[in-house]
Amino acid sequence: MGREVSESCIDSLLTVMVSTYCNRFYANKPELAARRIEAIGYQVGHQLSERYTMERPRFSDHLEAIKFICKDFWFELFKKQIDNLKTNHRGTFVLQDNRFCWLTRMSIDQSPENGTSEELSIMADNKAMQSMHLYFPCGIIRGALSNLGIPCAVSADISNLPACSFVIE
Amino acid sequence: MTSTACFIIVSRNDIPIYEAEVGSAAKREDAAQLHQFVLHAALDIVQDLAWTTSAMFLKAIDRFNDLVVSVYVTAGHTRFMLLHDSRNEDGIKSFFQEVHELYIKILLNPLYLPGSRITSSHFDTKVRALARKYL
Repeated sequence: MGREVSESCIDSLLTVMVSTYCNRFYANKPELAARRIEAIGYQVGHQLSERYTMERPRFSDHLEAIKFICKDFWFELFKKQIDNLKTNHRGTFVLQDNRFCWLTRMSIDQSPENGTSEELSIMADNKAMQSMHLYFPCGIIRGALSNLGIPCAVSADISNLPACSFVIE
Repeated sequence: MTSTACFIIVSRNDIPIYEAEVGSAAKREDAAQLHQFVLHAALDIVQDLAWTTSAMFLKAIDRFNDLVVSVYVTAGHTRFMLLHDSRNEDGIKSFFQEVHELYIKILLNPLYLPGSRITSSHFDTKVRALARKYL
């Protein structure tokens, strides 16, 4: 279990995966494409969490598991930890990553001063495409937490690139 | 040195996904069923104990006649249970850790549905080899 792949390969693989699912497999059904990508992420998260928890003792409660996701798990995946963790102590957690590695290669759209309707619809399309790329990491987090015994729903929010926050319920 | 040992893996949904008689003693039909029965009966005890400690290896948790049940719980709440008559705790712990590695390799197979039976004969051979080595 020790072979390595370059990071740019993973970046390219994810970009191609999203574009294939959106444009070729489920061309006019973005919800189905999103569900498939999230399901792939779920299985990957499940497997990775099993693998990364092998060495360490088990978790005693939900907060410990979320902290593991923020620190060790994120570190193994992206070589950095989650920058900010917020909770409302009633089961909702917000994980904020200020420089989400898979989004760093995406262009940041500057909103035009007096946007025509055409430009605005193009921007809306771009936003939709960007959100497609987030289904995979959401699936990874959901798979990892489900394996640790915490059923949840994960959604992502990219109001300001390259920062990205994941909301876990 | 003959030893009886029965090893099962139980998934988080309480479904046994793998079982094997790994002792070096002669195998008898009724003994095999009895071993499985004892192991399944010990599941309740494992449930209670698993929440009290954060360690993975719970040592001997139950006894039956002269056989002892030892359990190892993973983070995903999959339980490896071993029914044995030896007292070699370190050997058993190493056995569990190696089987854990093998189990993760099975999990990494994208065609394997987590929680379904493990049917790989390769896995079976390796587990038996490990049992001969450590038990």
